Amino acid sequence: MPSYLSRPLTVLGLLFLSHACYSAYEHSTLLTPSPQSSTIASTSTSSPPTASLPLDISLETIISVIMICVGLVVGAEELKPIMWRVWAGKVERESGGGGPFQGLEDRLGFVDIRAKRKEFADWVRDQDNDKK
Amino acid sequence: MPTERELAISPIVQESVQHNTRVISNIRSLTASLFGVASGILGLESYAGFAFYLLGTFFVSVLIWAFLAKGKQGEYFQGPLSELWAGDVLGGGMSFVLTWTLFYGLVRA
Repeated sequence: MPSYLSRPLTVLGLLFLSHACYSAYEHSTLLTPSPQSSTIASTSTSSPPTASLPLDISLETIISVIMICVGLVVGAEELKPIMWRVWAGKVERESGGGGPFQGLEDRLGFVDIRAKRKEFADWVRDQDNDKK
Repeated sequence: MPTERELAISPIVQESVQHNTRVISNIRSLTASLFGVASGILGLESYAGFAFYLLGTFFVSVLIWAFLAKGKQGEYFQGPLSELWAGDVLGGGMSFVLTWTLFYGLVRA
């Protein structure tokens, strides 16, 4: 899953979650006996009504939680490999020749003298062309 | 845990280990309070709530395993069982209980 989806998914999930929360709150206030109907409620049921949530609110809550979880995990920073060789290879590939062993590669014995010579010759030729 | 000899042959990058642990604990603390909110809304009580938390934690672990570690958990964790699957579960449990009780009280006031 591409990581640019994580932010919209999380925000959408949060919206759904807050909606479910408010719905559950409304549902529980509907169930609590109001002052006018307290006599009826007390006669019909002696115990306070246990608020069992409607199925759609439960479903909305669970689906929104799953959405937020996926969004958070997908949008999290990438893990880094802990093995030195894997990590060093990755760094070298990504930085294009850098990495922790750059100091060893730069020793005099490893200088590509022909490439340097060609580079210098090109530079001299460019200078000459600029003068003309 | 790897022995000293194994460590000498294939050294570990401490910085990456710390980074991975931080990523995991970030996700855990965020999702723990999220599960607290959800179980408060659902009105779960006692064992059901804790079971919900454990289930959710396992789900998040599977997500991390699939999306972040891409199935290669040994490459990112020294001890996958304790760092990925059980890492920060107890610490997250505290924030879970906190938001659980808060939202239970808010919804069923």
